[in-house]
Amino acid sequence: MRPDENVIEELTALRSTDLDAALDPAETEGVYRDSRECAALAAVAGGGAALLSPPTPRPKKG
Amino acid sequence: MEQSGTSTRLQAAVQDLASGVVSVLRDGDHTRAVLPAGTAEAGDLALAAVRVLGADAVLPGLLSGATSDPAEVAVFRKAVEAYPPRSDAAPTVRWSHWGMARALRRLDPNSSSGPPDEPDTRWLDDASWQTLTHQLAVLAPLALPGESCAVSRLAARRPVDVARGFVRAVRRRDWRQAAGAGRWLTLLPGVPDTLGLESGLDFVELMGGQDPMVTLQVRAARLTRTGTLV
Repeated sequence: MRPDENVIEELTALRSTDLDAALDPAETEGVYRDSRECAALAAVAGGGAALLSPPTPRPKKG
Repeated sequence: MEQSGTSTRLQAAVQDLASGVVSVLRDGDHTRAVLPAGTAEAGDLALAAVRVLGADAVLPGLLSGATSDPAEVAVFRKAVEAYPPRSDAAPTVRWSHWGMARALRRLDPNSSSGPPDEPDTRWLDDASWQTLTHQLAVLAPLALPGESCAVSRLAARRPVDVARGFVRAVRRRDWRQAAGAGRWLTLLPGVPDTLGLESGLDFVELMGGQDPMVTLQVRAARLTRTGTLV
């Protein structure tokens, strides 16, 4: 077997850990949407639905 | 965390396969094969991609009830047989494999294998609404109209929790989770009207639609919701 064939075999060999990770993925890191996207949702939904409410404002310090 | 080369290749193969399913769901041409033409042509990576996509790899056939291409069924069967869950497998791995076995029986009624035993749902008994939604989204291929299992019965008892999880997923911009939860919500009784599910699904598709895994779930949800099967 040529060395490049070895490399290809290594690259294509499926690892069970890869399959497990794909079948049982951890929850992705959350990135809360910004106000521009809230506005986009409002435009799509037309108003009135619970999803439209923007993130709860946090109390200002001082 | 850094991904391995095979992990990246597997993800790409899964995305390709999901794109094929979306294309068939969009066109309604359920006679078109999604899976590789035959077991001989289906390499390890392609089979693994079928295993990862689970029962959704044959979703057009499951929704339409049309006779499936025997070559496609053979590939699906090979993926089921090639990747059985290990004894220490996570519940989602067991359930996704169970879902594939169920789908295989639907596609091939002459299959000699009997109905698979359902894994248990103990890991979800005391799950928070956040965990429940995440796990249900991972198991979205089990959300099929007219099909009941322990996971779907458990979800049916917690529609408000799943609705809350859907909103959380949208707000976190986790479009895959939102799409999977949205698909479940189209099947569950008692979902609050105030959720705005239809608008929410539109938004999820708008924002996450470049990912075929998201589009697949949204399309499945819409087909389930409207009762318009492929």
